[in-house]
Amino acid sequence: MGKQLITLTVNGDEYELAVASHHTLLDVLRNQIGLTGTKRGCTAGSCGVCTVNGERGEAILSCLSLAVEWDGRSVTTIEGIRQGGELHPVQQAFLEYGAVQCGFCTPGVVMSAKALLDVTTSPSEDQINEALAGAICRCTGHIKIKKAVRAAAAVMRDNEARDDG
Amino acid sequence: MTADREELSVVGRNWARLDGVDKVSGASIFADDVRLPGMLYGKIVRSPYPYARIVAVDTSAAEALPGVRAVITADDASGVWIGINQPLLPSDRALFVGQDIAAVAAIDEETAAEAAALIRVEYERLPETVDVHRALAADATPLHAKVEGNIAWEQSQEFGDPDAAFAACDVIREDEYVTYPTHNCYAEFHVCVADFTKPGKLTMWTPTQTALLFQKSLAAGLKLSESDVRLLTLNTGGGFTGRTSTRPHHFLAALLSRKSGRPVRIRASGDEEFTVCRAGGKVIYRLRSGATKDGHIKVIETDLLFDTGAYIESQMIVTTLTSSYVNALYKNEASRYRGRLVHTNNLPYYFHHGGGIAQFQFALGQHMDALARDLGMDPVAFNLFNAVEKGHTTLHGSHYASCGLKECIEKTAVKAGWHDKFGKLPPFKGIGIGIGAMASGAKGIFKHDTSAAFVKLGEDGKMSLFIGLPDMGQSSHTAMAIIGAEVLGITPDDVRVVSGDTDSDPLDVGAFTQRGTFNTGNAVKNACTDARDQLAKTAAEKFDVPAEQVVFRDRKVWPRGEPDKAIPFKKIVFDTLHSQEGRFVMGRGFYNSPLKKGTMAYSFGAQIAEVTVDPGTGVVTVDRMTAAHDVGRAINPRIVEGQIDGQIFSGMSQVLYEECLMEDGQVMNPSRLDYKMPRAYEMPEVDHIIVETIDPNGPFGAKEVGEGPIVCTMQAIANAVSNAIGAQVKEMPLSPWRVLRHIEPRT
Repeated sequence: MGKQLITLTVNGDEYELAVASHHTLLDVLRNQIGLTGTKRGCTAGSCGVCTVNGERGEAILSCLSLAVEWDGRSVTTIEGIRQGGELHPVQQAFLEYGAVQCGFCTPGVVMSAKALLDVTTSPSEDQINEALAGAICRCTGHIKIKKAVRAAAAVMRDNEARDDG
Repeated sequence: MTADREELSVVGRNWARLDGVDKVSGASIFADDVRLPGMLYGKIVRSPYPYARIVAVDTSAAEALPGVRAVITADDASGVWIGINQPLLPSDRALFVGQDIAAVAAIDEETAAEAAALIRVEYERLPETVDVHRALAADATPLHAKVEGNIAWEQSQEFGDPDAAFAACDVIREDEYVTYPTHNCYAEFHVCVADFTKPGKLTMWTPTQTALLFQKSLAAGLKLSESDVRLLTLNTGGGFTGRTSTRPHHFLAALLSRKSGRPVRIRASGDEEFTVCRAGGKVIYRLRSGATKDGHIKVIETDLLFDTGAYIESQMIVTTLTSSYVNALYKNEASRYRGRLVHTNNLPYYFHHGGGIAQFQFALGQHMDALARDLGMDPVAFNLFNAVEKGHTTLHGSHYASCGLKECIEKTAVKAGWHDKFGKLPPFKGIGIGIGAMASGAKGIFKHDTSAAFVKLGEDGKMSLFIGLPDMGQSSHTAMAIIGAEVLGITPDDVRVVSGDTDSDPLDVGAFTQRGTFNTGNAVKNACTDARDQLAKTAAEKFDVPAEQVVFRDRKVWPRGEPDKAIPFKKIVFDTLHSQEGRFVMGRGFYNSPLKKGTMAYSFGAQIAEVTVDPGTGVVTVDRMTAAHDVGRAINPRIVEGQIDGQIFSGMSQVLYEECLMEDGQVMNPSRLDYKMPRAYEMPEVDHIIVETIDPNGPFGAKEVGEGPIVCTMQAIANAVSNAIGAQVKEMPLSPWRVLRHIEPRT
């Protein structure tokens, strides 16, 4: 089986990788680069645990995205969202508001929430629901997750105001 | 000024979970993340038929495929049994769709899948029986020669004189309810990594709720000493009562590892999760109860029929557990119970979230709601009138040393505005109540219900807390750290919980039957008290007071009444560790209930559901849930709320959506796209009311909150639906088409 050489930037680090045409972005992140924070779930786009952020900060199901399509592009995973060593506001809010239980879905849910808040820090309830619709969490009932997303949005709004001021 | 008041300083405050930073950072390791040098990947060959004779198995093409390192068939697995009567790899007959027939291990997952597809199995199909009533028919062929009439197991119980009690009733009601097969839908799929490369020594990484029972089961199946099976539990991606027993892939990975001389990982695919890792099977509940016209429930009769599938897995436990809840809530004077397990050509069933009890309560709660209606009583008043209280001993012999059931009913009713709503809502709006009880542990179900703990203190005053209780998300490790920190007057952040390796874990049956907070919590409290006593001796000498006068609080130690003399906790630890007598501080604790069976503590709860039913489609929307739960004491209140939220989600999911749609023994919706669960936008607002009854036997008064909430949810929502449409939907889930059948066409 022929492999293709790709250049992929993950969390700011550039990797040159030989990938088979059927390998997904998830396969490459976990098996070749060794970043296991992005979880493997249904591998069919139905559970959301493999969510990462693309170049524009958008939520990507890495299990449904072929690695070859990522040649020359960059991706951010759960391991890459700390800001100066500090937890990202979304991570901090998930911790404080009890939005984490077993933790298996958490990386995907955090990356889905971050994708939303990178677009708007004043999301409507519908926008939050839509952003989380692809993420299945069996433990929390999504209730504290939604609270955490609202709280993270408020912190990010404050940060923006401070930066502007 | 530091005070030496007696109030708790750690327990009852909100603490972030200790593993939280790792979990939000992607640093938490799960079994699918384990990669060992030389590790191979296993794949299982499964029967596509519900019932077939295995004529021949040809593995030659698979063995010839480059990259394949081991192939195993029935010959490699003779004498290895799963559960009670299931051969790991059968040689003669396949009894359900997905039954394990052979397995391969190869250098990567693609090669393993290719090799599995190359194994040729020749089958001769036999006529299957997938329906319990068909299996019980007089002309049905027994699936197992020794099991007459396909009744795998039967349990009967009677208390008081049910017939006399029925004769004295003014109102008698009879109902039949059905629940359908389900899947737990854990975020983390079934997976294990086995290293069986050293003779007689097996090491396994796998998610579990009970490393101890896994260890025992693997040792028995593979003919090893228990201590030669080392279970390493990393993080567990959800339990939901489903990770309480080993499954075939655990054994197959071990056998493949032994044969190949390499570690082997097996992970279920999405299809396999739904086909062979299912939760509960179909259950039929026949209920008959009677009451006097003033509303007193006198007698409850239950006859349960469980589809146990082709072999017996954990369903015996389901019937035993369920039987003990017939008499848990009301002060009935008599009861009769029968539970029968029936063999069919469905897969051997395990547990779903709620352990069979929540599903039983779906039936009993609706039945009682209807009985209240027959009596012309308001369901809240009816439940309050019949509810058990503190000091009550059930017909089963369970004694309630604390009981907040009535308080829970009253508080939910007030908070939800029950009296302004019940009977006064517009059409297709409904309100319903569900009540429940849940034991903190279940001694007698297994050989013992013991938990042990030990602690070690470092020179820096930090504590290592060794426990054998897994944390599959319920935050049990943080709860144990809080209990330990309270005893020693430090904070949970000073505690490192060491757990997940059977080589060093103290004895603990594990995290199921809601035993963790109560049993392991008591063991932890005892271990930390032992350590504190050792430290108090040093402090007592220093302060020249009796040891029992030494106060531990706020990371300081002082003689009672003289907080100005306080010295740092870590100084006392250091001085004790380096005393001339060599007082190496190591606390030991254990808990083993003094009862022969059952538990010392029960939690209680009440939930009120408010729903809207769409009369055109039958779709049910849950608008609001009000939940009051007597948890004894909330060790970590926000986490308690999270447990309530999660169980309301799961209960709502089961009662409205979850069903493995079956056809001839085959699951027709084996994916998370087709097996519906609520999404974030479907969740209602939840009002939490935590009721603290401070149980005299619980650690700081705490009882379980692991399944107490879910036993209320399904019945509350079902009762709200029947309130909205004026008819009971007696089958779960309440799918739109089932609800619609009960809505009168309107012109």
